[in-house]
This record gives sequence, C-alpha cells and structure tokens, in this order.
Amino acid sequence: MALATVRALSYSYPGGLEALRECSLDVEPGEVVALFGPSGSGKSTLLRALAGLVPHFHGGRFSGRVEVGGLDTRRVRPAELAGTVGTLFQDPEDQVVFTRVRAEVVFGLENLGTPPAEIESRALEALAAVGAAELADRPVAELSGGELQRVCLASVLALRPRLLLLDEPTSQLDPEGAAAAIELARSSGAAVVVSEQRPERVLDACDRVLFLDGGRIRDGALPDAWLPRECELPDAEPSGRPVCRLDAVTFGYGEEPVVERAELTVGRGEIVALLGPNGSGKTTLAKLATGLLEPWTGSVAREGRACYLSQDPGRYLVAERADDEVALAVGGDLSRAHRALAEMGLAGFEGRHPRDLSSGERERLALAAVLVAEPDLLVLDEPTRGVDPERKDELTRLLRAQAPTRATLVVTNDHLFAAAVADRVVSTAPQRELAVA
Amino acid sequence: MRPAAAAALLAGLAAAALLAQRTISVAVIAALLLVLCLRAPAGRRRLYLVGALVSGLAVVVVTPFVEEIGTHVLWSGPTVPVLGHLDVTTEELRNGIFQGLRLTAVALAFAAYALLLDHDRLVSGTRFARRSVLAVALATRLVPTLERDAAGLIESLRGRGVEVTGARGRARLLSPLLAGSLERSLNLAEAMEARGYGRPGRTRVAQPAWTLDEKGELVLAAALVAIGALWL
Repeated sequence: MALATVRALSYSYPGGLEALRECSLDVEPGEVVALFGPSGSGKSTLLRALAGLVPHFHGGRFSGRVEVGGLDTRRVRPAELAGTVGTLFQDPEDQVVFTRVRAEVVFGLENLGTPPAEIESRALEALAAVGAAELADRPVAELSGGELQRVCLASVLALRPRLLLLDEPTSQLDPEGAAAAIELARSSGAAVVVSEQRPERVLDACDRVLFLDGGRIRDGALPDAWLPRECELPDAEPSGRPVCRLDAVTFGYGEEPVVERAELTVGRGEIVALLGPNGSGKTTLAKLATGLLEPWTGSVAREGRACYLSQDPGRYLVAERADDEVALAVGGDLSRAHRALAEMGLAGFEGRHPRDLSSGERERLALAAVLVAEPDLLVLDEPTRGVDPERKDELTRLLRAQAPTRATLVVTNDHLFAAAVADRVVSTAPQRELAVA
Repeated sequence: MRPAAAAALLAGLAAAALLAQRTISVAVIAALLLVLCLRAPAGRRRLYLVGALVSGLAVVVVTPFVEEIGTHVLWSGPTVPVLGHLDVTTEELRNGIFQGLRLTAVALAFAAYALLLDHDRLVSGTRFARRSVLAVALATRLVPTLERDAAGLIESLRGRGVEVTGARGRARLLSPLLAGSLERSLNLAEAMEARGYGRPGRTRVAQPAWTLDEKGELVLAAALVAIGALWL
C-alpha cells in the first residue's frame, strides 16, 4: 500500500497563481522519487502539499486529495503530520529557530513528544550521521552555508519520518557532501521525495523520476538539458593580460586565517572557475579579488572596475522598481538599465517591484544589476544555486559570449557548469593553498 | 548562572530602576548594567549601547521642553504653536535626567539580556509560557539578524561599485530590510509548523535540577523589586 497518494491535485496560491494542475502520484514506503522541473514548475508546491502546508499554511484554492500514512492532509494540521513527514526547505538560513546547533536539532524532537531521556542522544546521533557532530555546540550564525544545510538535514532526520521531503537539499553542498547527504536520506529507510536542479546528484540514488512542467507531471523521457552529462574540467594555461592578481594573500575573520598565502591570477578574456570543498575559503577569496575585503598580508592588484555578485543575490535588492535597481550601478542611467534587463530576458519587467518577482527572475535581475556596469573583472559566487539546467545553459552562453570583454571568476560547486563555462579551473585544496586542479 | 535566574535578576534590576525615586539610585543601577554589557564582545554590543545611550539622552533633551514644572528658570525661549512657551527650569532638567536614566537602565537591562544570555537554554528551561518566551527569544534575534542583512545589502551594493554613505544612503536600506525580515518570518513560521511546533503533547530535553545558588538568585531578583519600591 502506498505511503503517500496524490489524486487530481490542483492548487492556486492566494494571488491566483496556478501552481499545480491535476497532479497524481503514489509514493511507496522506502522509495526514492526525484522531482525535476524548471524553476516555477511547482516542485516546491508539490512538496508543500505532501507536508500539508498547502493549503493549511498558504491558503489558496485546493482541489483533489492528498493522503500521507492514511491521513488526509486537508483534515490534519501540518504540525500533526510532522511525525510522519519530515521537510527540509530550500533555504537553510530561513528555517533556523535557535541560536545553537544542538538546540536546533532538539526542537523538533521536543515538539513530537519524544521521551526526554532520548532527545539528546537522538539529536547527537542525527548530527553524527550528517557528519556534523563537531558542530553541536557551535552558534548557528558562525556556520557556512554547507554546514548549515547539513544541520538542517540532521534536524529533519532526527525526527525519523516515514516520508522525507527534500527541497534542493544539496544546493550549497560540495559534490562529496551532496552525495553523502543523498545516500544518507536513501539509507534512512524513509520514502524520499527530493526536488533537485542538478539531476546528476540524485539520479543514481533514486528509484523513479518525475518531471514537472507548468504545474503538471509530464510523462515520457527527460528533456535533453536534464539528462546526465559527462564532464571534463578544462585545464588551459592562464591567458590574457592580468586584470586581477592575488599574491601571497592571507586573510581571516577571527584569529585563524581562512585563506593563507593564496595566489590567483585572472586575465582578460578568460573565465576561471574556483572550486573547492565547503568552508575552504572560496567566497573569501572572491571577495578579496573584488576588493570587498582587505588582505592581512600579501597584495591584490586590480585593473579597472570590479563587480561581485553574492550568493543568493535575490535577497539583497534595494530599489522599488527593477529598472531602478539595475540603474544603481550606472549612476541612474535608465536606458542602459533597460538594455541590461532585456539582455537577461526581463524586458517588460522594468516597473515591477523586485520582491514581486519569482526567485529565478530575481536572480536574473541581480545579474543584470552587475552586468550593466560592464566591469573589467566580474566575480560570480555560486551563480547556479537553485538554477535549472535550461537557465544554466543560458547563463553559460551569456558568460561565454561576453568573456572576451572582461576577466571572469566564477566560484562554484557545480562541476558541470564549471566544465561548460570555464577556460580553466583552480581549486582551494585542503591545505588552503591554491593549486591548479 | 542559569539563564532563567539571570533573566529574573535583569528583570528585577529593570523593575527597581522603574520603581526607584532617587536619581542617584537609578544612576547606580544603570552603571551596574553598563558594566555588565561591557562584558559582551565589542562588535556585538556597540549597536545596543548606542541605542540605549542615545534614547536616554533624547529623553534628557526633550523632557524640559515638553514639561512645565518648577520656578527656577534657566532659559526662556520663544512661544511655539502647539507646544506653547518654551523654557527650561532646573526642576525640568532634573526630571529629564531622572527619566533619561530610567530609560537607559531599562534599555541596558534588555541589552544585557540580548547580549549575554543563552536564549536557547532559557527557552528549553522554561516550564510555563514557553510560546511567549520563544517569541521574545526570536524577537531578540531580530537585531543581529537585521545587522547581518544590512551588512549583506551594503556588500551587495559595494559589489556593484555603489557606496552606501550618509544618513540618506542608509535610510534607503530600511525598506528592503523590513521586507526581508517579513519574508524571513513567514518562512520561519512555515518551517516551525513543519517540525511540529504547536502540536499537543510536547516534551522537553532533560534539565538539571535548580541548585541552591540559583534559587537564591531568584529570591534576590524579587528582593530587588521590593528594595526599588521601598527604599531607593
């Protein structure tokens, strides 16, 4: 008998946006189902429907039927489904309740009425399972994105749910961390429904794939862009006149250095991908290259204007209109802003409030806000986080087309993207020194 | 010290500052709380201390102009519509200092609570009104969260070559900061519900029993309130 059944589910958010149309599926106990589809295709909404958060938390128009463990999600509150269903949301920063890791993992166990004597041990067990046992007493605010994502996964696994819902659980993890997280979910014994934008990370571990498009579950083969691809990291020699050169740079946030005696050169016309495990100092290095951080020792030489696009850039938009946002970097020149918006496929969005845009549109807006300045050095920090393969291909084409005009440094954990976009790759090795990969 | 006992002591000090009738008593309480706050890391305490001291100072400055007490005039000014005749008397100035110190003491008590207490242990150690304690703990986190968001916004703008300078530049960040915190609070509420928050039958992680010292600290907190009301 299926653990979860969805029958003819259609759902519209309160604003009228139709997110799901006539979706039906069964999830068997212990089965791993991968959920693919472009941004805005309804993957997160389907996961929320399985958790009962749609419609209870979001309201809107709901028709059809969703049952999990024999419970009708329309009649049972999401909090009461929590023992049966465990949900890991897309953005780890927005789901943390407490200030320390241990309390964060304990929170769900307390809510479920776990016997007090078991709570602590189950929390530590879950942290150990995700390889985060040493983080138990750390403040959440001090964790890297990848560490935080593992802690959130531990918080869900500690509940020992029968149905595990994972919404892009590996978006901030390096390939090894991602593989470990998916394997851990699979071996937990729970049925797993995992939404992913990087198919290669889950295809080997899943029993079945569903593809959502426009709110419908589509039958047939995956579109080409979603099929797994072989990749070989490029290893061209450095080329072009150096626009940015880091020489024996050391920097840290506290007393310990995060980057130590790092060397890096990016020349005009080349795209360099900076790879490396979580917490190895990639973002710090990118900020040093752009001038957002000053090194403790060593030197950074730059030529011309440098622009930096942070991780999760849609969060950091300040203007009330999309064109004003883009024009900020060019002294309010709206005609240049309109051209940049059109280049990013956002023509017609000029007057929209940035926060009314979807997450994918926000990220394109943030990219337009940087590209409009026509920088000599462009630094992009994890630009494919949460980006579907089709849009990733578009981004690759755009960066390749504009590459000759500037030096480009891309910080990424996405090896497929690095292979497609970069001329060469450098890596933050465990010793925190840069080496050619 | 157990966070609940520390919170009770801080609340006792704040209550004593509100109940005390002598300026010197309130000043001593404020000074004591200031010394406590100075134990927090410099980077974290700056915003809280500036907020507490500036708001206290604002009360000192404004009070003489909106009150009409005393006969010892120090300065006589023009007549302003709505406010009437502006003057400053010795009594108004004294009262302004007294009220300013009170506000500073209460703000510093909150600052010490926000900066020095382990809110996680405070919430998990609470036997009653846990929802309220959790709500206060989450609200307390708002200040550092907004600080982080503001730093992210400034960095994002600097990354585009836009420097944020002056009061006007910083004021531009207020609207996105507010919108961002509203978005985050909705996401957090959803995540809490998905993890069973609000479901009946909740348990809590085993807590060590209260020691004699900790019980003594609770009694001291109650005594502070009484002392403030009766003798200070």
